[in-house]
Amino acid sequence: MSFSSQNDLGRSTGAIEAEETLRLVASLPAPRGIEDRVKAGVRAADRQARVMSWPLPSEKARWTQVSGIRAAAAAAIVFVVAGGGWGVYSHIRVASVPTAVAAPQRGELGAGGGGAGMSAAAARRTPKTLDGPVVAPEASTKQRTAEGKTNLPPHGHRAGSAAEKSRASVAAQR
Amino acid sequence: MDIVESAVHDESRQRAQEEALEAMVDQYATTLFRVAFSVLRNQSDAEDAVQEAFLRVLRHRETLGEIRDHRVWLIRIVWNIVLDRKRRTKTRPETDDLAELARVLPASGLTAEERAAAVQHHTHVMACVEKLPAREREVMMLSAFEELSSVEIAAVLDVTESSVRSRLFRARNLLAELLQHPRSIR
Repeated sequence: MSFSSQNDLGRSTGAIEAEETLRLVASLPAPRGIEDRVKAGVRAADRQARVMSWPLPSEKARWTQVSGIRAAAAAAIVFVVAGGGWGVYSHIRVASVPTAVAAPQRGELGAGGGGAGMSAAAARRTPKTLDGPVVAPEASTKQRTAEGKTNLPPHGHRAGSAAEKSRASVAAQR
Repeated sequence: MDIVESAVHDESRQRAQEEALEAMVDQYATTLFRVAFSVLRNQSDAEDAVQEAFLRVLRHRETLGEIRDHRVWLIRIVWNIVLDRKRRTKTRPETDDLAELARVLPASGLTAEERAAAVQHHTHVMACVEKLPAREREVMMLSAFEELSSVEIAAVLDVTESSVRSRLFRARNLLAELLQHPRSIR
């Protein structure tokens, strides 16, 4: 016997043994009572399916009778949903639409800000400084000329002290 | 009157369907279990698969009269179920399946040593079968069922009979190769 034929024999023997194992697995007996368990499961599922499919036990027999009831039920559902929707809609007070929209002014961004109005990336913010002292309302020109001379503060001097203010008012009364 | 008649007719028809289904369970449950077990190698999983197969039949009971061969039809249903389950439960370690297989293999008339050797051999063979390509493995497993002819295997797998034969030939060669040189494939 040549090596190849011995090899073939070994291979076929191995395959036959393997098939025997598969046949052994395939012929294993089923556990006892499997039929009863399966039947019980099927019956339970059938009962559940019937409850789910109520009130249509058969597909052909009462289709025409039931279709009218279905249509009525569908119409009732549509009516209830639409009525509810209308009730909600009619009770909603719609807020008035503003006629103008407040937008930030460009000037607020500072001199360099805004560019062409598209971006504020290069904006420099100018801090708001405190207001200086309020200048008292000056006397009218007529009164000032009548007086002849006034104690005007030097040019560029905006602020006047309280004493100066009171002096000026006394002079004006005279 | 018409409604009452149709209700009676429906009820009797339903009862007839139930009886037909129960007869099918009596007749084919064990065959389906063996088919399921050959793939899943777990008793409870196999029983679940049989249950699921009959629930599918229940859903299509209106068309039962149109089925020519109930046995092949049922085997095809359970075959698809177990393949699907096998794919989904791939995370389970293979050793669990083999341990379950060793537990259920018959060992009457064997000494403890012989039994251990037989279990080892069967485990090795099944591990080699697992290494076969899916198409060849499926044909090989179904061909182990003596009640299934090549025509019926072709019907279960939805292929031609010649395809079944060629796959079986390839499977036998590959399996023999694997048993001689376990690392020769893949």
